[in-house]
Amino acid sequence: MSISKKDKKFLKIAKAIPLNEKSPLSFSKRIMTEVREIHTQEITIPEERFLKLARNIPVTEQTPYTFEKRIMAIVQDLRVENPFAIWSRVLWRAAAPCLGIMVLTALLSLNQSKSITDSQALLSQDTFNENYEINPPDFETVMLASFDDLEYTW
Amino acid sequence: MESIEKLPNEDLRPDEEIVAAVLGGDIESFEELILRYQPRIFGMARKYFRNESDVEDLVQTIFTKTYKKLGSFKKTAPFEHWFMRLSVNTCYDALRRRTKHREQAVSDLMFEDESWQNRLDNIPDSEDQESLDKANELVHSVMEQISNKARIVLTMQELEGRSIKEISELTGWSISLVKVQAFRARKEMRAAVERFLKKEDNL
Repeated sequence: MSISKKDKKFLKIAKAIPLNEKSPLSFSKRIMTEVREIHTQEITIPEERFLKLARNIPVTEQTPYTFEKRIMAIVQDLRVENPFAIWSRVLWRAAAPCLGIMVLTALLSLNQSKSITDSQALLSQDTFNENYEINPPDFETVMLASFDDLEYTW
Repeated sequence: MESIEKLPNEDLRPDEEIVAAVLGGDIESFEELILRYQPRIFGMARKYFRNESDVEDLVQTIFTKTYKKLGSFKKTAPFEHWFMRLSVNTCYDALRRRTKHREQAVSDLMFEDESWQNRLDNIPDSEDQESLDKANELVHSVMEQISNKARIVLTMQELEGRSIKEISELTGWSISLVKVQAFRARKEMRAAVERFLKKEDNL
């Protein structure tokens, strides 16, 4: 939107007029009298009187002697632990005895198996020797035994 | 939100560190939190309860509840905010429980020794315990006539000078609900004070 020449001239004159910041004599006093009146009116309002009184009561932050100890005693009783934490603690406690039992059982079983193999080997050697001495094995008889049975069936 | 006054001690552990220690099994660290916050909590509780044993009960409930719920504290916000919110909610629950058991007539709350008008204008002197007690008695008498939600909002807004946003954060109520309660609180407070004064005029 373009400004006409006439308007431009008017604006120029308007800007040229200096600001008059002078205020009437004792104007602030007049305002203050009004402010005080409003304030007294507010104070006479029961709710404002009440709030003024309530705001003027200082906050007491005093704490009873060793109050924190009392809370701590309750908290100690309340102590609720995470079930997983309890479970893992029990597991860790059980780990050492379990390991001990495992090692002991392993040693025992090793020892036992060794003695069994020794005795078995000894036993089988003895049996072989005995059998060989009493009845020498007839390889051919043993191998053809099943064929002999077949003959009987037919 | 009102910030905690930090002591000039550099060894002061941050709240979050203490919480982590307590959760890790160092239960004794919880005492540090109690010592740090108990003055403020006592100050808050005394605004809602006049009887000292009620105040102690409330503070005790707040701290035991804090311990029980410590596991639900998310480190996304400062511990102080979480704790103050829990405290305000516990206070609101205590007020609700109390109103269920207690109903007092206005005539029971009139003072025998002094008129209401006089007490209302008698701004207490912080050195004079008697005048403080009298002022406290009057304030609690009026506050007990106001609904619990409105009372909490009125106390925070008018007596503690908190903003609507701060109240909303502390209570967990929406901003519009806080605004409604603030308006209602003013109305209920005005009605209560006028009721007391009118009752006195009729006596």
